[in-house]
Amino acid sequence: MTANPSGYREPRQTIDWEQIHRRLTAVRNAIDGAAAPPPAILKKILKERAIALAREAKMETAGSAIDVLEFDLAYERYGFELTYIREVCPLVELTPLPGMPDFVLGIVNVRGRIVSVIDIRNFFDLPDKGLSDLNKIVILTSDTREFGVLTDRIICTRSLLTATLQESLPTLTDVRSQYLKGVTGERLIVLDGGKILRDEKLVVNVQPER
Amino acid sequence: MKWIRDLSIRNKLLTGFMLVLLLLLGVIALAYTRISHINDFQRQLSRDFTQALDLTTVIRYEDSIRARQLEMLIADTSVEQKRRQQEIRESEQIIDKELENLRLLYQNEPHSLEKLQELELTHNQFKQVRETQVFPLIYAGKQDEAKPLIRGPQLERFEKIRDLAIPLQQEALRDADLTAQQSERIAEQAVQIFLTASLAALLACIMLTAVLNRIIANPLKTIADSATQIASGNLSTPSYVVEQADEVGRLSQAFNRMTIYLKETADAAERIAAGDLRVGVNPLSEGDLFGHAFARMIDNLKSTTAELMEGVNVLAAAASEILASTAQVASGVAETATAISQTTATVEEVKQAGLLSSQKARHVADSAQKANAVAQGGIQAVTAAIDGMGRVQDQVASVAQSIVTLSEQSQAIGEIIATVNDLAEQSNLLAVNASIEAAKAGEQGKGFTVVAQEIRSLAEQSKQATVQVRQILNDIQKANSAAVIATEQGTKTVTVGMRQSQEAGESIRLLGETVNVASQAAVQIAASSQQQLVGMDQMALAMENIKTASTQNVSSTRQTETAARNLHELGQKIKLLVERYQV
Repeated sequence: MTANPSGYREPRQTIDWEQIHRRLTAVRNAIDGAAAPPPAILKKILKERAIALAREAKMETAGSAIDVLEFDLAYERYGFELTYIREVCPLVELTPLPGMPDFVLGIVNVRGRIVSVIDIRNFFDLPDKGLSDLNKIVILTSDTREFGVLTDRIICTRSLLTATLQESLPTLTDVRSQYLKGVTGERLIVLDGGKILRDEKLVVNVQPER
Repeated sequence: MKWIRDLSIRNKLLTGFMLVLLLLLGVIALAYTRISHINDFQRQLSRDFTQALDLTTVIRYEDSIRARQLEMLIADTSVEQKRRQQEIRESEQIIDKELENLRLLYQNEPHSLEKLQELELTHNQFKQVRETQVFPLIYAGKQDEAKPLIRGPQLERFEKIRDLAIPLQQEALRDADLTAQQSERIAEQAVQIFLTASLAALLACIMLTAVLNRIIANPLKTIADSATQIASGNLSTPSYVVEQADEVGRLSQAFNRMTIYLKETADAAERIAAGDLRVGVNPLSEGDLFGHAFARMIDNLKSTTAELMEGVNVLAAAASEILASTAQVASGVAETATAISQTTATVEEVKQAGLLSSQKARHVADSAQKANAVAQGGIQAVTAAIDGMGRVQDQVASVAQSIVTLSEQSQAIGEIIATVNDLAEQSNLLAVNASIEAAKAGEQGKGFTVVAQEIRSLAEQSKQATVQVRQILNDIQKANSAAVIATEQGTKTVTVGMRQSQEAGESIRLLGETVNVASQAAVQIAASSQQQLVGMDQMALAMENIKTASTQNVSSTRQTETAARNLHELGQKIKLLVERYQV
């Protein structure tokens, strides 16, 4: 409430009620028209989508490729080969188990099957982060074993040319280098699902102390 | 004649006048004796005439009585008779009176007195007979008896009266004639004596006059002539001395001495006039006022001249100073005149300024009235503004309500968005699982992989849409909060505005009153300015008068300067004059 020297208040700005009414009308129109976008826009979207798909088909033909599932974990992007994956599902109704090592979070019920959930952040010395309904688990499976790996977010599945995979990074040490299959130029760390499934360290066999 | 000359003038005059007086007394004595003689004759003459006149009167009335008696006799009526009788009685009274006078007149003449007594006796008999006999007969109507009586004894008596009276009368007339002749003779003698005496007296007087003239008047005339000459300032008259022992001789000698003294004094005065103050004058006596005064005058002149010299020196110096001062005063007066001119101009300017201020004051009064009207309008506007703000407050309250409602609806949208997001997440997972399944299916699953990717893309888009929607909702929420705060602020502002509007209204009302007061003050100022203007007019007039006076002052001062210059020159001249005196 400042007064200028001349003693009367200067109007700060005039409210352009015309413009406001126009904008409100436009918004209402937009809300009404959102259910059914105009044919021209729809056609444009479809066309772009078709172009994108057509490009991807070309990429596939060049050399041998592997399918991977990308996911985020502790602000880094990792991937598993689809061949070791049974499915992905949300982390719901996690039941912690007492007396387990730190990497075992607990067990979940996935459509009637009890699956244990491990946290691979312990192996890679990644920072902990709280759990939420948004966390997903990737269920890895082999002939002998089946368990879920905790992820922060599932990104997508994609095909990678094996040529783009680099073997390893010298900075990575022991455990991570054991599970590592390769790193792409886009800093996607592809983990070897077979090795993890085969790793005996993950087998927990604890006898209750007498 | 020598003794006459040596007599004093008083004795001379006394002798002369005594002589004249003696002559005069002789003439007067003579005249007195003669005039008393004539007077005696006059008295005798008068007595004689009176006797004659009285006797004539007696005779006349006796005649009248007799005539009336006869008329009675022939009168017809008793009234007539009575009237005649009355007339007769009146005549008798007159005769009695005259007889009385005659008795007195004839006192000193025994002879004549006897005759008069006889006449009287006869008259009385005449009267008695008439009264006792005639009248009763007449009244008794016996005219025949009365007639002889009247013609007889009564006539005799009447005749006797006449015979007695007429000689007496004639004798009186004769005496009168004699007396008149004597009187005339004496008068002639007296005239002759008077003429002789008068001539003698005249001769004596002429002689006396001649003598006195020669020994008194002539020398006095000569001396008077000399005195006239001296009185007219001429001192060169010849000396004239009369060798007489009387006052004239002494006068001539004294006059001669006085002339000499005056000549000496005049010589001394001549020398003084020539500037020689060393002359001495010796007074002739203790009572010589002139000499003493002259001596004192010379002394005084000496001292006065000395003082005068000093005074003249002082005067000359003072005149110089006065001249210098007057010159300064003249220049000062000129400066004053200039200053007064400037002041007059200034007063004129001040007057113009006063006029301007008067107009301004009127303008201010008009403006103040307009401002008062504006203030009234302002009060109404403020009242309207307060009402408007009340309405604004109501509307702001409803806006706030609307915004709260909007906020709650945004929350519902957020919940819906969460659901959609959940759905998108599940769709994504579904798509991923579908791709996994497709990958497991190998070559047959390739087409399904495309579908799965398409689903995943949709899920991704949905998710992004929800993120955007949430973002927008957040923005909306923030905007709502801001709007609520703004609305609250607006409400408070409106409240403050209302209070301030009320204060403003009060202020405007006070302003209006103040302006009203200012307007009245301006009107008073305008009136005062008008009065001031009038005062300035008078002042301008006064300054004009002062200016005129100042101009006159300048000319007066110039005249004064000229006078001072003249005074200075006069002082110099006087100095020169005084220096000529030898003290």
